Amino acid sequence: MKYGSSYRKTTLAGYVFLAPAIFFYSLFFGFPVIFSLIVSTKRWNMLIPLSKARAVGFFHYKYLLNNELFMHSLLNTLMYSLITVSISLTIALILAVLINNAKFSILWRFIYFTPVVTPQVAIGTIWGYLYRPNNGLLNSILKLFGLKPVYWLTDPNVVLFSVMITAIWAGIGGSMLILTAGLKNIPQDYYDAAKIDGAGPFKQFWYITVPLLKPTLLFLTATGMIGAWQVFDLPFIMGRNAPIKSIMTVSWYVYETAFQSLRMGRASAGAFLLFCVIFSVTLIILWIFRRGGIEGYE
Amino acid sequence: MMRKLIVFLLVVALVLLAFSVFGRTKLIMAVHWSDYQVEGVKDKNGNLIKKGLRQYVEEYMALHPDVEIEIQSVPFDEYLKRILISHTSGEIADIYVLYSLWGVQLVDSGILNAPPKDVVDKVKSDFVKPAVDGVTIDGKIWGVPIEVDNYALVYNKKLLKDAGFDNPPKTWDELVEMAPKLTKRNKDGTISQYGFAFLSGWDSAVVHPYLALLYSNNGKFLKDDFSECLLNSKEAIEALEAELKLFKNGGTDPAASVWNFPAGKIAMMIMAPWYETSLKLGFKDRYEETVGVSPIPYLKKPTTVGYTWFIAVDNASKNKKIAWDFIKWMALNDSNGFTRMGELMAKNIGAIPPKKSDIAYFTGELNDLYTSVFVDELKHTYQEPNVAQGQEIKTILMREIVEAWNGRKTAEKALKDAKKQIDEILAEFY
Repeated sequence: MKYGSSYRKTTLAGYVFLAPAIFFYSLFFGFPVIFSLIVSTKRWNMLIPLSKARAVGFFHYKYLLNNELFMHSLLNTLMYSLITVSISLTIALILAVLINNAKFSILWRFIYFTPVVTPQVAIGTIWGYLYRPNNGLLNSILKLFGLKPVYWLTDPNVVLFSVMITAIWAGIGGSMLILTAGLKNIPQDYYDAAKIDGAGPFKQFWYITVPLLKPTLLFLTATGMIGAWQVFDLPFIMGRNAPIKSIMTVSWYVYETAFQSLRMGRASAGAFLLFCVIFSVTLIILWIFRRGGIEGYE
Repeated sequence: MMRKLIVFLLVVALVLLAFSVFGRTKLIMAVHWSDYQVEGVKDKNGNLIKKGLRQYVEEYMALHPDVEIEIQSVPFDEYLKRILISHTSGEIADIYVLYSLWGVQLVDSGILNAPPKDVVDKVKSDFVKPAVDGVTIDGKIWGVPIEVDNYALVYNKKLLKDAGFDNPPKTWDELVEMAPKLTKRNKDGTISQYGFAFLSGWDSAVVHPYLALLYSNNGKFLKDDFSECLLNSKEAIEALEAELKLFKNGGTDPAASVWNFPAGKIAMMIMAPWYETSLKLGFKDRYEETVGVSPIPYLKKPTTVGYTWFIAVDNASKNKKIAWDFIKWMALNDSNGFTRMGELMAKNIGAIPPKKSDIAYFTGELNDLYTSVFVDELKHTYQEPNVAQGQEIKTILMREIVEAWNGRKTAEKALKDAKKQIDEILAEFY
């Protein structure tokens, strides 16, 4: 009986301490999600009160899942997220390992981190100049090798990859910095023991570095995927002159539907579908990583 | 005694101040204009050279001490969002400067206040037709037009002369023939000098010149009652095919950018009046000898497309009458021979004022080599249709035109796809 009372008190104290977090979580996450879910069942242009908006049930969801442009934007975003996250993480991991014990490692980290603190609008504009068909740097290099010029930002078969290249370049620094911190936490003893057992640099990397970096890689993959699925600025800035189906992303579609077409209901349905995709992708990533065990976190 | 007198005077002063401040009616005016258009143009010493909106507003407040007007300037890209958000939050502006295409939804949602009869009568009698069409929604006038824009052919006289052309093309066929001869290519096949460049990058840029060709081909975009899109018509397909001829004969390509015109890399382009200042800055002292303007080359008859900006009052404003009084003073009162809004447009903003008396008065500003052609072309200007979801419809058409430009669809397929999507929207509203 005495134990039960103490248990209740402890539980109550726990909830009291959790209350502020739950309050803010509900206010800034729970409420917007529920509100957007409600809006997604209405035909609303923001100019009339929501209460007067016509209820349309799940019409917007049905519309979007049958809409060619939305499905193209989903496909573009899927490609963008898979390719940019995997390539930028791979390059970041290699760079982190190379830089970790290199001379002037702080300088290298600073150089690679600079794009992360540069506004995406500036990055998009500068890369736009590099991608120019006539006097752009990339086509000038191709010309040196006698290759044909590429219409980087207008050719529908190329434009998404052009934006991805920029995104990979811009994203490496952040991942590299976190991976470098992860590498510093791996005890040197493991490498020394592996050397004694005759393991070469590649085996050390594959059997020591990669498994012990799993928690860091999990974090970077999950956050990278979440960010990539929400990508808006780079495709919007760089791809506006390309045929839209080849470059539009889900966030761009949602933005345009909401603020240009004034269809808040449809935009909210799109945003909610995007939320479901991101949630599912995050769960899949967690499952994949946890399947093999996460050293250091388990 | 002295202290009591000072306290008494202070109290009286405070009461008077409170009455003077709280007794004033405050209006909020939302505009999309940039800093110099609001604050005026000043020289290096800070002396005012050209009046901005602020100077007119201050003049009005001096004449009407009981009225205070606050100007809220929001960039064009954020402007419609500002209207939406202000209505959701209840922080509305009393007076708006609006793009005609937004009008339908604002009217349908009950946002705009119907103007007083004297304003409506003045708009009908004193303004050019494209501008009156721009503020007319479902047969009713909803504001006072303040700016009318249309399109013309802007060409580089020097590049045309170098290629042996003394005059710009008059018909579209002439333009199609001339463009490849004005195009120069690098060794790798890329174009170094474009014979013709289409505007691109946003919906109006792509759609307006196409609509000009469509109307010039005696075609129609939508049925008069907006019940159906007519882009599957023979005239509509021919108009887009006319554009595609330039891509096929090498006179242009999808990578062309009109912003290279001031660099002397574009021979011809279709442009609006607001580009004049950029051209003057780009060409500097070579401006007059280089830049030429002529009507858009036509298919069957001379035609261009226009759009309008107008000033209107929010239906939720608590001071609608006072707001309309200010608008009348600013945009309708021409007792000096011109309106203040006309002066602001012609002298500062560099746009065509739509009031006939302003066009007649500001000949110095509107009769130069660039703007005079646009003013003259007002007689051939068709206002873009004020249709529900106009922005969305325009975006759909732009995307299908770009698909055709890139060779991913034929003109017929692109327009058929556009019609299908546009008809779905029209069915929702008409």
